Amino acid sequence: MDILACPVCKGDLQLTVVEENTKEIVTGSLYCAKCRETYPIEDAIPNLLPPDLRD
Amino acid sequence: MKEEEIKKAVREGYARTVKTGNSCCGAVTSCCGQVSMAESISRSIGYADEDLASVPEGANLGLGCGNPIALASLKEGEVVLDLGSGAGFDCFLAANRVGKTGRVIGVDMTPEMLDAARRNARQGGQANVEFRLGELENLPAADNSVDVVISNCVINLVLDKSRAFGEAYRVLKPGGRLMISDLVLLKELPEGIKNSIAAYVGCLSGASLRDEYLALIRAAGFEDVGIVDEASFPVDLMANDPSAAAVLGDQQTTAESLADIAGSVVSVKVQGRKPKKPGTKGGQSSRR
Repeated sequence: MDILACPVCKGDLQLTVVEENTKEIVTGSLYCAKCRETYPIEDAIPNLLPPDLRD
Repeated sequence: MKEEEIKKAVREGYARTVKTGNSCCGAVTSCCGQVSMAESISRSIGYADEDLASVPEGANLGLGCGNPIALASLKEGEVVLDLGSGAGFDCFLAANRVGKTGRVIGVDMTPEMLDAARRNARQGGQANVEFRLGELENLPAADNSVDVVISNCVINLVLDKSRAFGEAYRVLKPGGRLMISDLVLLKELPEGIKNSIAAYVGCLSGASLRDEYLALIRAAGFEDVGIVDEASFPVDLMANDPSAAAVLGDQQTTAESLADIAGSVVSVKVQGRKPKKPGTKGGQSSRR
């Protein structure tokens, strides 16, 4: 978490965990309060593409 | 070529590569021919047999132009960021180098590649590697957080290279190293190739002139920028073929001009360092 940052403003992200195992967070989200943007974590991969590039 | 069109083509092209690599036998095994092709390409660009054997099966898609020098420089405990990590080949090699106290983060913009990387990570059981979907022009990493930025034959695919180098500079700690390998041009490509999307996806028409490439890295703020190794790169090895197909598919391309194109593309290993005391240059280093 200390290395993760919002791709747009480079600010800190708030983590919400939905599902995790002993090794990693499987499902959840990362929220940038400054940009008011939520980045999903699916299948243990955070999707930190800028909003306009996300599918 | 429009920017959005190129970006889409690059993502779709590499999504196809990883899919076809995995489709014929369930998992990638030698029965496909695909892997042995990837391995022979990798061996020809400087990876050692023990490196190829030490990564999870399926992580090597044979798409790089080779980054063994960068990998050799890694030390125990370092934090490494791999730009355009693909199926994770270099990340897994880097993870072996930095050990349990180090960390390797792979960033790639193609979801299919990251899915493959995740599968490979589970298979290899390396806990110090993580992957995230992201764009090199907008890296999802904090300022001054990384010891080494590596990248293997990817930055040529980035439309705004200046911005990508600025981002690499931003995330590196003071004194951190940029160690990348890429394809660059010794002279301009013919118009037909320059405007081909297939040649872009195949790492050819997105490549910059060598001197311009180095100038972009210096302009981002890096010091001690230089080429540590340079080798000619056979055009037909490029990304396993889209470029070659684009070149060969062009009826007007003669054997002579093909040789000319091949002679103007080189694979370079470039390194640079973020100054220990960052100066006033370094374009995007303080965007926060």
